[in-house]
Amino acid sequence: MKLNRKARLFAMTVAASTAACSSINADSKDVSGNAMSEVSVAIADAMRAGQNQPARTIQFGDQTYPALAALGPVPVPPDNPMSDEKVELGKILFFDGRLGGDGSTSCASCHVPSMGWDWPDDVSLGYPGTIHWRNSQTIINSAYYDKLFWAGSSKSLEAQARSAAKGGVAGNGENDIMEARLALIPEYRQRFKDVFGDNWPKISNAWMAIAAYERTLVQRDTPLDNYLNGDENALTGEQLEGKELFEGKAGCVQCHNGALASDQKYYNIGVAPLERWEEDALAQITFRYELYAKGSTEEMYRKTKADPGVYFRGKLPAMKGKFRTPSLRYIKYTAPYMHNGSVETLEDVIDFYNKGGITRAGTTTAFPQTKSELIRPLGLTREEKQQLLAFLDAFSGEKMKTKRPTLPPYEPLFSEQELQEARK
Amino acid sequence: MRIRQSKQRPWLVAGVMAAAFTAAGLQAAEDNSRQLPPLKTDPAKAELGKRLFFDKRLSGDTALSCASCHQPESGYSYPEALSPGYPGSGHFRNSPTLINTVYKDQWFHDGRLGTNLNDVTREMITEDYLMNMDMRLMQERIKQDPVYVQMFKDAGYGEPSNGSVRKAIPEYLKTLTSRNVPFDNGTLSAAAKRGQTLFEGKAGCNQCHTGPLFSDSEAHNTGVAENFDIFLDPQRHQSFIAFNMFMGNENYMNLKRDVGAHVQSHKADGSDIGKFMTPTLRELKYSAPYMHNGTLQTLQEVVSFYNGGGGEDSNKSPLIRPLGLSVKEQRDLVSFLEALSGDPLNTPDYVWQADDYSYQVIENWQSARN
Repeated sequence: MKLNRKARLFAMTVAASTAACSSINADSKDVSGNAMSEVSVAIADAMRAGQNQPARTIQFGDQTYPALAALGPVPVPPDNPMSDEKVELGKILFFDGRLGGDGSTSCASCHVPSMGWDWPDDVSLGYPGTIHWRNSQTIINSAYYDKLFWAGSSKSLEAQARSAAKGGVAGNGENDIMEARLALIPEYRQRFKDVFGDNWPKISNAWMAIAAYERTLVQRDTPLDNYLNGDENALTGEQLEGKELFEGKAGCVQCHNGALASDQKYYNIGVAPLERWEEDALAQITFRYELYAKGSTEEMYRKTKADPGVYFRGKLPAMKGKFRTPSLRYIKYTAPYMHNGSVETLEDVIDFYNKGGITRAGTTTAFPQTKSELIRPLGLTREEKQQLLAFLDAFSGEKMKTKRPTLPPYEPLFSEQELQEARK
Repeated sequence: MRIRQSKQRPWLVAGVMAAAFTAAGLQAAEDNSRQLPPLKTDPAKAELGKRLFFDKRLSGDTALSCASCHQPESGYSYPEALSPGYPGSGHFRNSPTLINTVYKDQWFHDGRLGTNLNDVTREMITEDYLMNMDMRLMQERIKQDPVYVQMFKDAGYGEPSNGSVRKAIPEYLKTLTSRNVPFDNGTLSAAAKRGQTLFEGKAGCNQCHTGPLFSDSEAHNTGVAENFDIFLDPQRHQSFIAFNMFMGNENYMNLKRDVGAHVQSHKADGSDIGKFMTPTLRELKYSAPYMHNGTLQTLQEVVSFYNGGGGEDSNKSPLIRPLGLSVKEQRDLVSFLEALSGDPLNTPDYVWQADDYSYQVIENWQSARN
């Protein structure tokens, strides 16, 4: 009883923190089978103040969801305003492995620009001597999330950068050494001074600059955005069919809604444990490490064989195996998919949902008791799956490229003469 | 307080005592106060500690083992002035020998840890410019190695854990003690005996180099010159800055000298700046170069340094003054210092020689307990 109350409180907190979203906790609702085929797009009566577009919602069964929408201007937190100089600094830092343990691993090591700004394998690269245990996510449009990482453990890009740089299987850095490194790179001293006004670079400001850079990695001119902005020719006929399925029969919009195509809530959709955990010694090490480091009971540490996801944050059984809905934007370039990268292609993703959260190999989640009721066989025809696939293509525009910056070199802080003249 | 006592220890008295011993014809071997007490070690725990000591997987990116900076061939120290430190960083001090370290009650050149070797081991493994290891990850790595699983069990530790690693390594360190030392065996050469007389008399070495370890476990400023490589190599300098930042030293960005034991005493007047812990003189034969920053290459240079009254420093100990030793006397002193080293500890008894560090997949993973 007590647990249930806590679970509800958590769900309310999650819902309340989700911007531009109805407060419905979809996971706890019973959606009738009839609802799947019966859809209407409702235009809200009232025009929202200051906006040309009417507020749009999607009616799905007896629930209302935010409709897909064109991506608006990137949100910028008031305590980290944008400037060209800050973005430029953040870009260099994003590529600099010296923000990490042994100087080898930068943000760009696992968020590789040419590979979708994520990592092209199931689980991420990891710090030398390790592998990671989750699939690294694209940082394109990550600025629109109000919670970062698969379990939503960071509340801002600034906090996400810090956690990634310091994690034992990610950057493995520590504040003091990273801050000292910045101080011995004259170009950084000057840039941090210009941007933040401090005599010496502060490591906390490095995360600010990186976050500012990430806020420029935004794609707002996808076919879908163009269509939603009034260009009726932006989507093909097949894609429009797919959109209808997305908002209707396939039920995708129940979670993938709004401008980000993510409700930023947590669901267990039935993704099976990663096979690599059974056959790769390093993966087994990482898996146990995460169970241990994120805080488990003895029993859980001993027995768990699948990623408990958001459970680590609230420690409630109902949270096991749930992960934050990812955006569908830029997914054309970010294979493989799911929190553990275990689904290789978008065709496979559609098949997975069509089967009701069962993988091609016939496996599903290790936490069946928390699997979302929204996930059920869809009965899509081959043609419908094609249409859905075509529509998913509309969430991505051109591949976003960047030129790797030249990293500024270290230089001694003192001259030999200054050292000789020092009084002892 | 203890430092004051050491300053006030009248070296004149020491000289007189040394003269008295010599007059009585006593040999060094009969001076029981200079003998290292015998130790009991647990063979299974020490064997486990030995394997761990040489295992690079105990560092964050698996680049370094304890033995990378504490090399058996160099008396479990590093053969260059400054030890390398973690990749991407660098170290700013000379690795001291680990032989006989188990007898110490304070560790590091600045004496910042005075608890036990379990804590020292933790510091070495986790510190970001040393081995930069998340010990939770280290524990899981070790659990993936069947050799370790068996060895931990045999040692009575149960399953591998980071806590037991920090016990097993010190148990191994207990085996790294001086063996067959001429001084202990009473087999000093004539030159070494003359050197001992100087050591305890005219040269005044035993004012600080006292007891079985030839160390008073206290900090003194002898005026050792700074090693500029610390500051001219940004990767060493960054570690130095990070360390001083972490230790709460003021004005750490502008420091141009290693403040030494100031990190443990933090005297407001700065009179403790530049003091370093008296090192043991045992096994010096293998542990060149010398001093906290490795700036003296040979024992001859060390003796010459003290004979000249040490270096320049406003905080220099009054114990350090010109000695007026002849060239022959300096040679005799070096002979004595060399007689404080025993057999090299580089045999399989001390060194894990099998290259058997590998992980193994847990086959029945789904049903196995983690």
